[in-house]
Amino acid sequence: MRAIGKGSLASILAVGLHITRIILWIAFIGLSIAIVIVPVFSIVVGMIGGFDSLDIDDDLIVGAGDYMEIAYHFVGFGVMLFVVTRLLEILQTLRFGSPFVKENAERFRTVGYALLIGEGAKFAFGFMSLITDSDVEIDSEMITWLAIIAVFVLAEVFHEGARMKEEQDLTV
Amino acid sequence: MTISVKLDRVLLDRGMSLTELSERVGVTIANLSILKTGKAKAIRFSTLEAICQELKCQPGDILFFDTDGEVADAAE
Repeated sequence: MRAIGKGSLASILAVGLHITRIILWIAFIGLSIAIVIVPVFSIVVGMIGGFDSLDIDDDLIVGAGDYMEIAYHFVGFGVMLFVVTRLLEILQTLRFGSPFVKENAERFRTVGYALLIGEGAKFAFGFMSLITDSDVEIDSEMITWLAIIAVFVLAEVFHEGARMKEEQDLTV
Repeated sequence: MTISVKLDRVLLDRGMSLTELSERVGVTIANLSILKTGKAKAIRFSTLEAICQELKCQPGDILFFDTDGEVADAAE
């Protein structure tokens, strides 16, 4: 399989990441709308609830836990969107034939930090769910942490690779 | 402390342009320019050999070990 160009793994990955990015954007926009609508909806339901004659289902009453779940998914989708965008940028440099640049090392590093923030947010929201009545669970898998470490290792490899490439370019 | 390149001076002494040297040595003008302006990080023995052969000089005529400007000034 070719490294770059049509039918290469990089181009297949790029297509996959583009589709993922579109889905994430839709989810992100949906959540943004939900953040605006949910409080309004809550007020409306509250107002209707004021009339004793109307029977309001408990599921329609929006609590602190629901807000927290939205915020949790907002952070989650945000991190995923950030990671996918950086990966696409890295793939673009590969398409131009110069992946070993300092910018890519920096991109991998920021991906690592974003994943760390994502995992940290998981814990934070998990602990907060103990206070509220949301369904966010405190769970973290070893493989996720290994993946984060792998990204940081890649960042260092790219940093050294970029330095070596620069040295090679400046060798007469 | 740096290695400084005095290629421009040797070229001036020989009355040779960078383009001419580039054609004779077979190294691109861009690369010779990198060398001349001191931006080069390394120089291949083969390049140095070709330059010395064409300019009829020693590697020491082109490269100087510059201890805060002392050696280079002494060489002048």
